[in-house]
Amino acid sequence: MGKDQAEILLQVQNLCYRVGGKTILQSVTLEVKEGEFVGIIGPNGAGKTTLLRLILGILKPSRGEVKVLGTPLDKLKARERAGRIAYLSQEQVLASAFPVFDVVLLGRYPYLGKFKSRSVRDIEMVQRALSYVGLKGFEQRYFNELSGGERQLVLFARILVQETDLLLLDEPSSNLDLKHEDKLFSMAAELCREKKAVLVSVHNLNIASLYCSRLILLDQGRIAAAGKPDQVLKPEILDRVYATRTSVSANTATGSLNVSVANVVSMASRLRQSSGLKIHIIGGAGNAVNLTRELYRLGYSVTGGIAHDHDTDAKLWQSLDISHYLVDAFTSISIKDVDRAASLVEDADLTLLTVFPIGAANLQNLELARRAGKLVIVTPGPGEVKRDFFVERARKLFEELAAEAIKMSYDGLIAGLERGAIPAESATKK
Amino acid sequence: MKNKAIILILILLLVAAFILAVNTGAVPVSPWALFQLLFNKIGFKSIALPSQQDLTIILYIRLPRVVAALLVGASLSVCGVAMQGLFRNPMASPDILGITAGSSLGAVIAINLGLYALNIYFLPLLTIGGALLSSGLIYIIASYRGRTALLFVVLAGLAISSLFNGLISAILLFSRRYEVSQFIFWTMGGFDGRMWKHITLPLPFLAPAIVLLFFFTRELNLLSLGEEQAHSLGLAVERNKRLILGTSAVVTGMAISIGGPVGFVGLLMPHLFRLLVGPDHRILMPAAALGGSLLLILADLIGRIIAPPFEIRVGIITALLGSPYFLYLILHYQRKGLDSR
Repeated sequence: MGKDQAEILLQVQNLCYRVGGKTILQSVTLEVKEGEFVGIIGPNGAGKTTLLRLILGILKPSRGEVKVLGTPLDKLKARERAGRIAYLSQEQVLASAFPVFDVVLLGRYPYLGKFKSRSVRDIEMVQRALSYVGLKGFEQRYFNELSGGERQLVLFARILVQETDLLLLDEPSSNLDLKHEDKLFSMAAELCREKKAVLVSVHNLNIASLYCSRLILLDQGRIAAAGKPDQVLKPEILDRVYATRTSVSANTATGSLNVSVANVVSMASRLRQSSGLKIHIIGGAGNAVNLTRELYRLGYSVTGGIAHDHDTDAKLWQSLDISHYLVDAFTSISIKDVDRAASLVEDADLTLLTVFPIGAANLQNLELARRAGKLVIVTPGPGEVKRDFFVERARKLFEELAAEAIKMSYDGLIAGLERGAIPAESATKK
Repeated sequence: MKNKAIILILILLLVAAFILAVNTGAVPVSPWALFQLLFNKIGFKSIALPSQQDLTIILYIRLPRVVAALLVGASLSVCGVAMQGLFRNPMASPDILGITAGSSLGAVIAINLGLYALNIYFLPLLTIGGALLSSGLIYIIASYRGRTALLFVVLAGLAISSLFNGLISAILLFSRRYEVSQFIFWTMGGFDGRMWKHITLPLPFLAPAIVLLFFFTRELNLLSLGEEQAHSLGLAVERNKRLILGTSAVVTGMAISIGGPVGFVGLLMPHLFRLLVGPDHRILMPAAALGGSLLLILADLIGRIIAPPFEIRVGIITALLGSPYFLYLILHYQRKGLDSR
């Protein structure tokens, strides 16, 4: 092996699995090299667990071959295999009253003969693994008395003492809270840096993009896409496989990709959308986020602006592909900007002015609001933050606007729009 | 520490029960007779043997009977531990899974065809054969599609039991009266009239088979995690399951050839001692074995002294204890599910 050539730990070739005349897995070929953190993603029933169980030899493939460190799986004795692949299964473990220490020690089974009992080294390994997963001092606690997250960490410690190069994890965080999920995946990532490899089936695409170096997208038993997270996590690929509209955005905090279901368009709201009511939102400082999401959910065609670049509202509009008008961060909105953005407002059937602080930099947003055909000023509900004015001119301008516009609370507005009712001037105008 | 103490207490209780059972019965014997016999036999020739009458009663009536109870109790309990671990089912045991019924079918064939009279080996051979047959069936049923609900295996065992009991009835229809009564007496399970030959014949096979089961305690621990986990930890799951189940069937078959189908020991003991010493089979199996021996020696003793000159057979006493407990278990696990063990 060359220095920079990573060793291939797992080879899966043309793997097929059929049961009862139904094809679960078809022609799956993949490789896992040392140091890789490979995520298997895909909708329910795509064959993720089946693939892992085939790699482990729990199921026998209908066709194809699995090689572990170059040796075909069926040539390996059970203990030899267990010395090369460890597996954290989704199987409901019977939570019996075994001490945590004993549960972890079972991971040394592949190395213990029938008549060979645990050595000092085995005991040390168990203790080290337990303190690594953060459960030092849990040795004599009973497994069944631990929380779900702690149990999963104990089982993770068990696959650590198994000392394998390859770790298979099947939905390891499916019933973990955020903290434990993150801990489990960071530990797995650390193992990959130690030249081990992890193959994990994940539901949560955000976790997958955050930790995995490579993703394999399974769809109905076939590999639909494979590659780096940004090559696989694309809306055009995901929409097809998951049969829903997804949205992919960059997570500015972690640098990973965020995937979310962008729109669950109900039949009713689709009809409403085709009726073509356009709503423009004037917002800022993140105050338009909820409103945008609600309107988007209800299926209205939404536009936004004027917002400053990197503003939370602007980011949301960007990622939802909502047309909006943007100015550079920390600059003042000029009257020219208002002229350019005016078309959005003039096109809209309804313009909503959300509750946001108004100062010199965004004063012109009120000028924009003035040009709206029909303006609704969202009033802060009881207990919510009041609209702040940092310059006196802003207050004056706002009061002029308020004299003309319809004023509604957020809840009243949404409730009305949910029924499909357009706020009427007569009902609320002063 | 606690577990070691429990084992020690069990051993002491067992020794005490053993001595009590040998000394108690319709004809009183000297309380020292057993010790006189023991020390004399192990080389202290200065200690005189007990009187001829005591010696005969102890050596040829009481000892075989108590030793039979000890062996059968230990065997059935060990099998119960193995099967509960194997199927991860607290309701599994040789009788619940129909293995006892299979043995009984073997026995009725042996008795009815006169094979038993022909050669004493036929009884254990056929009880083992029957036990292997039904354990094979239960293995196939339990492996079906890999999934086994808690009550599924139990119901399958019930079906197997019914099948074999039906076959037994059919065979008995064609039998002579003498054989029918002999069999019915046998099915009650008991240790009266047991002679050394009933024990010494199966012992060379029974003892190693029990010892073999003790070597599978680590594997049973692995299996109790779930079969996928056991597989991933390097256990050849199916091979070990077949070995454990087959050995259990042999042990059950031989135990039944000694004492008849004594019910519920294999269910009660593992379950009771799991509550006391925990689920680790390395400690559970010896504890249940000792407990089973103790239970059957005491049950036999009680059956002898409660209404003399009649004897209430051991199988009746264990059934009286075991059936309500089994019902309780069904209700308990129906309500709380498997996780609440």
